[in-house]
Amino acid sequence: MENLFVSMAAGIRSLLGSGGLSEWATDFLVMFLKLGAILVYILVSALWLVYMERKVSAYMQCRIGPNRVGPMGLLQTTADIGKLISKEFIIPKDADKKLFLLGPILIFMPPLAVFAVAPFGKGMVAIDMNIGVYYFLALASLSTVIIWMAGWASNNKYSLIGSMRVVAQMVSYEMPLILSIVGVIILTGTLNMSDIIHAQENVWFIFLQPLGFLIYLIAAVAETNRAPFDLVEGESEIICGPFTEYSGMGFAMFFLAEYANVVLVSVMATTLFLGGWLAPFGLTFIPSWIWFLLKVYLMIFLFMWFRWTYPRVRVDQLMEFGWKVLVPLSIANIFVTGIGKYLYHSLGW
Amino acid sequence: MHFDFSLLTTELSMFILGLATFVLGLVVPSRSRRGIGAFALFGLLAVLGLTVLNWDQQGVLLNGMYLVDRYAMFFKILCLSTAILVIFGSLRYVNEHLGNHFEYYSTIVFATLGMMVIASAGDFISLYLGIELMTISFIILVAFRSQDGKSLEAGIKYLLQAGLSSAVILYGFSLIYAATGTIVILEVAHATLQGQASPLLIAGMVMLVAGLGFKVSAVPFHMWSPDVYEGAPTPVTAFLAVGSKAVSFAALLRLFVAGLAGVHQQWDILVAVLAALSMIIGNLVAIPQTNIKRLLAYSSIAQAGYLLVGLVTASPAGIKAVMFYSFLYVFATVGAFTVVAVVYNKIKSDEIADYAGLVQRAPLAAAVMLICLLSMAGIPPLAGFVGKFYLFSTVVSGYLWLVYLGLIMSMISVYYYLRVVLVMFRDDPKDPAPIEMGSAANITLIITMVATIFLGIYPNPLSEVANSAAISFFLK
Amino acid sequence: MDNVYSLLAFVLLAGMILGSALLVVTLRNLVHSVLWLIVMFIGVAGTFLLLNADFVAAVQVLVYAGAVCIMLVFGVMLVQRPNMEHSNPINWRFKLAAPLVGGLFIVIGLLTAKSQLVVSGQEVPAQTVQALAPILLNDFVIPFEVAAILLTVALTGALLLVKEVKANGNGS
Repeated sequence: MENLFVSMAAGIRSLLGSGGLSEWATDFLVMFLKLGAILVYILVSALWLVYMERKVSAYMQCRIGPNRVGPMGLLQTTADIGKLISKEFIIPKDADKKLFLLGPILIFMPPLAVFAVAPFGKGMVAIDMNIGVYYFLALASLSTVIIWMAGWASNNKYSLIGSMRVVAQMVSYEMPLILSIVGVIILTGTLNMSDIIHAQENVWFIFLQPLGFLIYLIAAVAETNRAPFDLVEGESEIICGPFTEYSGMGFAMFFLAEYANVVLVSVMATTLFLGGWLAPFGLTFIPSWIWFLLKVYLMIFLFMWFRWTYPRVRVDQLMEFGWKVLVPLSIANIFVTGIGKYLYHSLGW
Repeated sequence: MHFDFSLLTTELSMFILGLATFVLGLVVPSRSRRGIGAFALFGLLAVLGLTVLNWDQQGVLLNGMYLVDRYAMFFKILCLSTAILVIFGSLRYVNEHLGNHFEYYSTIVFATLGMMVIASAGDFISLYLGIELMTISFIILVAFRSQDGKSLEAGIKYLLQAGLSSAVILYGFSLIYAATGTIVILEVAHATLQGQASPLLIAGMVMLVAGLGFKVSAVPFHMWSPDVYEGAPTPVTAFLAVGSKAVSFAALLRLFVAGLAGVHQQWDILVAVLAALSMIIGNLVAIPQTNIKRLLAYSSIAQAGYLLVGLVTASPAGIKAVMFYSFLYVFATVGAFTVVAVVYNKIKSDEIADYAGLVQRAPLAAAVMLICLLSMAGIPPLAGFVGKFYLFSTVVSGYLWLVYLGLIMSMISVYYYLRVVLVMFRDDPKDPAPIEMGSAANITLIITMVATIFLGIYPNPLSEVANSAAISFFLK
Repeated sequence: MDNVYSLLAFVLLAGMILGSALLVVTLRNLVHSVLWLIVMFIGVAGTFLLLNADFVAAVQVLVYAGAVCIMLVFGVMLVQRPNMEHSNPINWRFKLAAPLVGGLFIVIGLLTAKSQLVVSGQEVPAQTVQALAPILLNDFVIPFEVAAILLTVALTGALLLVKEVKANGNGS
């Protein structure tokens, strides 16, 4: 079990090798397959997360949730996607047509590209990048512009207001997100995700960086534009924000991208703070990738819990909280971490 | 690694002063903010004292990336004196026209810090960041009167000019780096002195001439300066005309005479042509001006031409002449602009015609204006004459045409300087009420006047100081 | 360029950078210009990646494509126009500009071709990030600190200018 995927990859590699392919072509094909597998995982996972979200919210509100299509309603979201695909994709007359169409296509790119460096289990990372964490931050920042582009291209006042909110909110919360991760990087001295996980063999960083984890969590919720920070698509004020004019599959793409982003920030939280695929309490008989997924879905559940517990904040509260509370706190966290590490070293522990 | 912090005393104290000014401004209640100017002034005086005390301290930091020698010290003292005179002469102007914002003083301190970094920079990156620190501070200062359309226009123009010239300078740096493989100026000097001049190095050198040509507002890179000088608050204009120009010359000397000495044959004619163009255009276009600030702007373009003459030969005498001239230029220019500021305080106009009969309304201001303008024109026995004598004597052998051109243009400049003097002394004032100027401005004016006359009659001390600084420039 | 693939990648990236930069300047719609600018920055990041400078490439994406362009977006949104058509004023003085710029380009290209470039023969270090801290905080500490002061001044200055406008607006 532990080496299920690793040995699968090795098997494919040897199969291709025996087929007479050169080493370079084999590497290329295996890499392609790895990335394809990740793509499939993300899409399926985004699909099922919609179902999970509906179920979680239903139980929190003493309802049952989807229960008709398939066993326990498991096929509900699949049916929904089928419906959305068959719907007409309406392009408003005054929209900037090319940009309007580009939006839903590009929105999936940044999260997918980041997943290439995520370590899903022991030895299960498609590209073990030296600057993994930084790569995640760099690419995640691109989503902002894509959403803004889609909102602007719609040529609708709600879309424009929503997209300006996206820009303001995501830029403001990128700061604490990055700064909260710096604490972990100070402790490990590396940006490589596998190395960061290895550094947590004795103690998870959530215990060494509790403040960092908390700030990361809050900033991550804001970065994924989810409640209580979902002003971007605050239904009661601006209908659906940047996505107002999108119908059919275009809307579904944005909807699924949100869940892909939730998976992404949960994967990062797991890697950086929860010990990645390391098993707690020496329970190593459970494979590492199962541990990893368990932790990721725990984080996702936490995000859903937030969403159905807290009411939406106001724009000015959001900005004030970001710049006046989270940013100073995260800088203080870096400061304390740096001094702590220095003391730790000088005391010779 | 050994790092001698004592070499950075002046920069560090300047940094602390800037921060202290800013924080103090935030902390004290708004009605007692008047004292911030005095605080910054005394702080600058203290730093000036520290710099003079450290005159003999010499050293090289970080393998030539930061050079602390007398040459750098000389320019640091020059910038500090300019900042002190500018702040002292315009305390009232700032109160009345700039809303008495404490940021004004801290920004001036940081601009001066940028100038100090330029004077000491020994590599391209420090030099570039010093230039940017100075320029960005100046953008803020130029646009300080943001209710005034002209000030904003000047700010935008200065911003565009700064962006353009920075891009050109950076391109030049990168080409030189590609040709020599180093960013440290002294290592570039080694590379150029040993090897043949690679074509790429020449391209980079041309870029540097153009980029720094913007900073010193030499023709044909001068378009921005009249508009910016006119729109900026007058004390800022004085600071811009003196400090920014002087340290840009410091950078030019450091880059060309120290760094690119090996390709002197390739750049001397380029600089000579720029000098000639600046002298001709600056002086000729100054003649029809009706606004005193624009007139002084064109005159400062011409002064840039004179200063470039000292660069042509790349000799110690030329460096000494540039340093000497820029130091006395401080007094002449700050004096003239302080008069403009105090007069503007009263009559709210910068038109030359409104200066009619100034001698009856403010005799001291008129006298200082007279002395400063005559010094700029180079009339003996004032300081400007000595400065021009030093500058042009360096090029007598080899560039005699430049000397003749300079003499002719100096004579032309007398015409438009005297036109202002004529208006002040001959015409009758429209409103004979005396202009009272405040004691701080009075003292500044007296200092500039006395210095200009003194340096003209007895230039030896400053000349010797400049000489020893110029010699330290070559001791590497 | 050690092999044909990196040469091919370089040519493609250079085409992408130059093409999108040209579009930034010539397009009539300011929003399209900003978006092409992002493409240009990503192309530059690709060039850095080609040079094995992965950290610089990520910085390029995070700072330029992710943050600087967002600032530009704010700027664009403050442009008071009913629609964004013709919001990027261009004077089409191509007859003057094109020969001038083209000539300059050819001259610099010729000079580059004629001269010997200094190439450092060092190996690319396996860990590109760890070496940065000593470089920034030892060798380049003075420029580093000057940059810090520069940013502080720029920040306070920008705030000052904006605050002033607001106070003025309230007063009038």
